[in-house]
Amino acid sequence: MASAYFIFVFLASIGLYQIVTIPARLKGLWFFNQPWLQYIFGILTILGAYGWFFTSKGRNLQSTVEGAQQLGLFLGAIVASYFVTAILSSIIQAGTNAQDDSPQEHKQQDLGMEALKTKTLFESIAARLKKGKEEKV
Amino acid sequence: MPPLSGWTVWITGFVGKVSALDQVMHLFVNDFFIPITIFLIMLALWLGQGDPVRREHLQRGIMSAAVAIGISSLIVKIMNIHIFWPHPYAIPDKLFDSARYAMQTIHYPSGDPTFPSNAATISFAAAIGVYLTNRKAGIVIYFLAFLWSFAHFYAGMHFFVDIIAGAAIGILTAIFISKVFMPRIEPIPTLVMKLWRYLYLA
Repeated sequence: MASAYFIFVFLASIGLYQIVTIPARLKGLWFFNQPWLQYIFGILTILGAYGWFFTSKGRNLQSTVEGAQQLGLFLGAIVASYFVTAILSSIIQAGTNAQDDSPQEHKQQDLGMEALKTKTLFESIAARLKKGKEEKV
Repeated sequence: MPPLSGWTVWITGFVGKVSALDQVMHLFVNDFFIPITIFLIMLALWLGQGDPVRREHLQRGIMSAAVAIGISSLIVKIMNIHIFWPHPYAIPDKLFDSARYAMQTIHYPSGDPTFPSNAATISFAAAIGVYLTNRKAGIVIYFLAFLWSFAHFYAGMHFFVDIIAGAAIGILTAIFISKVFMPRIEPIPTLVMKLWRYLYLA
């Protein structure tokens, strides 16, 4: 039950990230260039996750996944799916984003997720490391 | 016997009469369906805002709601030690046969104490926590919290007072955490936000 629960939350949150990053304009987390493809992918993934979890087996049973464990698995699954999304989109978008090393862009590295509006996770980490080196020099 | 226990007998009397309603309640009372939906809505709010200032405001609200869920669960655990009465379905009285039938039809015997309702506590803490920063999403979560709590009541899992007490604990804790506790423990929330930002999680 614990692994099924983890997979369910993992898949549902992967789909959710594709949908909610459209209004947030977090392009660094996008799998597709077209928002309508993002929506379709996101909706199908969420529906698929719910459908699979609740129809593959009866879930109204005395569960082995209780309270704190359920919360831990949920947090683990949403963080894991976030980084998997960020890594996959970094690979998909590799070489497609124009590099901008303006001071404004450097400032954005301190803004966390905001940096993902113009860069992928890999590019953001690389820019942060570059900035760190420049500051040392 | 807790007050208003007759209400449980009345509501569980409907179980088995409308099969479609029982099926819906079977889904709503589930330990995963509504709570995961609530948490996914909170996750969507965490990420789904384009404006960075507004996003941070929402993320702080979600953080408060998450702390409120944790603290209110702790309050429930402490209350469980001092106040105890059996679940409606576990009362050895013929009057509560309908509650036993409802539990067997819709859910399963719970391992948790009945007072206060943990489901109501968690879901209403999440609802008010979110409502204080985003009213529309808060109302949606209120609705889900109501459905989850009602399903527990309908399934003979809780007495009416268990649900009301759980909801009250959740709501009051969330208001206290958002309005008093989180502002008082500054700069801890700000430092946590900085850590999330460093990890590209906020």
